[in-house]
Amino acid sequence: MSAVEKDQLLNGLERSVNEHIQSAVVVFQNMRSDLLLKPAPDGGWSIAQCLEHLNRYGSYYIPQIRQGLARQKKLETGGVFKSGVIGAYFTRMMDLDRGQKKIKAFKEYIPGVELDAHAVVAEFIRQQEMLLACVRCARRVDLGRPRIPVSIMKWLKLKLGDVLQFVVMHDERHIRQAKRNCPMD
Amino acid sequence: MVDAFVQLEQLVSAVHPLTEEDWEALAGIWSPFSAQRKEVLTTEGAVERYLYFVVEGVQRVYYFDDQDREATLVFTYAPSFGGVLDALLLQQPSRYFYETLTPSSFLRAPYVELDRLMQARPGIAHMVRKGLTHALSGVLERLVELQCYTAEEKFNKVLQRSPHIFRLIPHKYIANYLGMDATNFSKLINKQKM
Repeated sequence: MSAVEKDQLLNGLERSVNEHIQSAVVVFQNMRSDLLLKPAPDGGWSIAQCLEHLNRYGSYYIPQIRQGLARQKKLETGGVFKSGVIGAYFTRMMDLDRGQKKIKAFKEYIPGVELDAHAVVAEFIRQQEMLLACVRCARRVDLGRPRIPVSIMKWLKLKLGDVLQFVVMHDERHIRQAKRNCPMD
Repeated sequence: MVDAFVQLEQLVSAVHPLTEEDWEALAGIWSPFSAQRKEVLTTEGAVERYLYFVVEGVQRVYYFDDQDREATLVFTYAPSFGGVLDALLLQQPSRYFYETLTPSSFLRAPYVELDRLMQARPGIAHMVRKGLTHALSGVLERLVELQCYTAEEKFNKVLQRSPHIFRLIPHKYIANYLGMDATNFSKLINKQKM
């Protein structure tokens, strides 16, 4: 595992979160509910289902990340971050360019089809705005210090830097999936 | 940045044309400033030190209290002035917040400089007074809309006046500005052909 410049890593994450907010603000929130709820042509998730799936992860991870950040009293700017072995594995798995094309979601994270589509989009934006604040706040801490329990295996704790990368990469994966459902205009 | 000053000059001339000398003096007090998405520029309780001129992005002035009540009072976007104007001109602690909703860039002028120019140059004082009076007209017009219009009429009015903000900022801020809940807002979005 090679070390990366912390600021460079966080710049990349901040850019991605900004793009995810942008997609929701420019496109998703302006679509009619029936389009947001329309299943993908191959029978896959609708846009609202993709976002609901992310919201469920977000409602677990974002409070955990905030708590992790709040526990850090020591100011540490700059420096490098080195992924843990398992953290790097999770991030790579989520990366569409390097990992598998399809991953089966855990049962509790499979969204139903009956959703209040605009409420789902609004919640997604709310969470992303919070995540953006977390990424900015992370500039002041050691990314290797806070340890955050994994949602599906609470006994396993990952470094904050790995959790941030994993969450943003997972968002990216499903935002791309959702965008494939957008009618071309 | 040259563009920003051109835009500022156009806005100022539209409010009240200045002599060349007055414009030179006014142009001299602004400096560039930028902020990321969701940055608070003025906090409740703080003094408003700057008058902003928006070059890029969308911002809002809002009220927020300890009972979690929130009211979005005004959106600002290019080319217009921004900041908490009453706190600025009265130099009193602000009762409101001013925050960016998208990445934003501005020109901003410190109050002390602006005040000095207003005291020394009647043309500038007059321009500021006219600008404020237009702002007051806008507030009064909005009060009528808030008190008389149906939700749908209010929605259509914003759509007509500022159609671009629907694709620039999260709808929850527009719904809050109109005093509507998210469900009603969503119904109106479903009626639109966007």
